[in-house]
Amino acid sequence: MTNLPSKPSVAQLPALHLRRVAKQYQMGGEKILALKSIDLEVPPRAFVAIRGPSGSGKSTLLNICGLIDHFDAGSYQLGDTDVGQLDERARTGIRRFRIGFIFQGYNLVPVMSVYDNVEYPLFLLGIGERERKARVRDMLAQVGLDAFANRLPDQLSGGQRQRVAIARALVKAPPLVVADEPTANLDTATAKQIIELMKNLGARFGSTFLIATHDERMVVHCDQVRHMVDGVLQ
Amino acid sequence: MKALLLAWKNVLRNRRRSLVTILIAAVGCAAILVASGFALHTYEMLIEGAVHEYGHITLAHPDFFDREEDSPLQFGVIGHEALMTRLAFDNRVVDILPRVSFSGLISNGDKSLVFLGTGADLLRESQNRGQFFGLVSGSIRIPADKKEGNIYALVGAALARSLGARPGDSLTLLATTTSGSLNAMDVEVSGLVSTGWEELDKRLVYIDVALAQRLLMTDRVSTLSVYLKKLKDVEGFRADLLATAPGLALRTWQQQAFYYLSVKSLYNRIFGLLGLIIAALVLFSVINTLAMAVVERTREIGTLRALGTYPAEIVAQFMREGFLIGLSGVILGNLLTGAIIWSLPYFALEMPPPPGRSEGYPLLVSASLPLYVVTNLLIILLCVGAAWAVSRRAARNPIVEALGHV
Ligand SMILES: Nc1ncnc2c1ncn2[C@@H]1O[C@H](COP(=O)(O)OP(=O)(O)OP(=O)(O)O)[C@@H](O)[C@H]1O
Ligand SMILES: [Mg+2]
Repeated sequence: MTNLPSKPSVAQLPALHLRRVAKQYQMGGEKILALKSIDLEVPPRAFVAIRGPSGSGKSTLLNICGLIDHFDAGSYQLGDTDVGQLDERARTGIRRFRIGFIFQGYNLVPVMSVYDNVEYPLFLLGIGERERKARVRDMLAQVGLDAFANRLPDQLSGGQRQRVAIARALVKAPPLVVADEPTANLDTATAKQIIELMKNLGARFGSTFLIATHDERMVVHCDQVRHMVDGVLQ
Repeated sequence: MKALLLAWKNVLRNRRRSLVTILIAAVGCAAILVASGFALHTYEMLIEGAVHEYGHITLAHPDFFDREEDSPLQFGVIGHEALMTRLAFDNRVVDILPRVSFSGLISNGDKSLVFLGTGADLLRESQNRGQFFGLVSGSIRIPADKKEGNIYALVGAALARSLGARPGDSLTLLATTTSGSLNAMDVEVSGLVSTGWEELDKRLVYIDVALAQRLLMTDRVSTLSVYLKKLKDVEGFRADLLATAPGLALRTWQQQAFYYLSVKSLYNRIFGLLGLIIAALVLFSVINTLAMAVVERTREIGTLRALGTYPAEIVAQFMREGFLIGLSGVILGNLLTGAIIWSLPYFALEMPPPPGRSEGYPLLVSASLPLYVVTNLLIILLCVGAAWAVSRRAARNPIVEALGHV
């Protein structure tokens, strides 16, 4: 019931393809080159980790890939779309339909129940009440939280909250999920569960995962691990 | 519906802050409704007073309203009986009262004072004018035979005081006749009247219209006051009169009610300003509350934007919250107003006399549906507008910045 009809032509393309992407920040009079000519090609359904020391530019890269930040040079193709050409409204539309986010700090909406948080992206897609209900229920079962549907986020543990966030990111079966340090706030055992959950669900929903992480254990699960140093991808 | 429920949850997020804002909106709403209800009541009272005093329409000689008379009743209406008979057939008309205005000296033998007299059909005047006739003591008495016997007068309370006269006492009226000679008439004070205007009460004398004509040696009257059944008939009746009584000048009660018009313009300005201040207070309070909410929820806004929510949808969410605050305020405000209106008569509060008048009047407020609708919509609109204003920028801020906000 959650199979996303995938266009064959899109399936053949890389999920995302960055060419010579650069980004610089202005700090007072000083320019910080956060990304220096990034080339990155990620095949569909891949589970990719970006590792690197603090300040190396991982978040900057993920923000650009997730279309919540702009780059200054180069090109970025997301599926069949040349992202550089889009205005803000179109970028929002792409995020709405094609990108899921998982944040380090969970970022659940505190006044919404677990159920409502997971339902929200389906709302944005204009999906009808009955289908929404079925998909949210299914998703909550997948992350093992069906018993917690009516809880508020602050009545959950960190690991449970991150599960809700994963459910929220995947409920619309997006082609791309961006996760910036999703396990950084979790203890070792929970982090392991979360990684496995993301990996399993990513495979099930056919989503490409792009994860920034310090976590060593992530490596074994990944199809690709890239190292970032000083704004350069190695 | 779900969106409204979410908005309500967001309103309840900071209960105390929202409650204070809702209360301010409620008190503001009630203040506007009570104050304008009071103004409305005052207008109604003044309209009623003016209509009772002048009649709905006053008919007079074409020059009566614009020129000074050189001699008494120079611009009087001739042949008023025929006109009165004709108009009495119109079923919009309640009554037509002839009045003769004159002036002269009134004396108790030792002391003479200037008076402003009105000759009128006193019984019918008091019927039509009800409490506005202002009889404070004594009674209205009409001589059985207007040619002979006792002549009765109603005298202004303040005038009677200056002359030391009480009901039953005798006074002398001295006036110039239409031909320019002097004429005197002894009258018995049958009652004392008060208009509520101290200056008028010092000069006021009422006698029967036929006696006034006898004093002035004329068969004219100064004006005819037409009393209608309904206020809204005035315009139509006026238009008809213009066609059927072309030789006469017409004034509607509004054209005569200078006091009503000036009080109305004064009150409109005072209460308009008051309303503006209250509206500004409500606006600032709501802006303050919602602006704090927007700042506190910066990260949430960033998250929702990242999930693909359009800025307009974020703004709409805050506007729903503003709407709920406004709606709650208005509901509470109307209840509060109802409680105030309901309890006012129990307190029997008296307003001090307005400028120039000698009597206070009870503090009562009127309710009018358009007033309530406009006020309630205005307050809700203010709240929604405030929400729009404070969330517009935040909804378009860079997402990464918003997400980094703590
Ligand atoms: N808004 C900003 N203004 C100025 N400089 C910035 C801004 N955001 C990031 N930077 C700089 O860009 C560089 C890359 O930062 P980024 O957050 O991408 O690193 P990171 O690899 O995610 O680090 P961490 O592991 O600590 O999260 C850093 O030098 C950082 O100081
Ligand atoms: Mg980072």
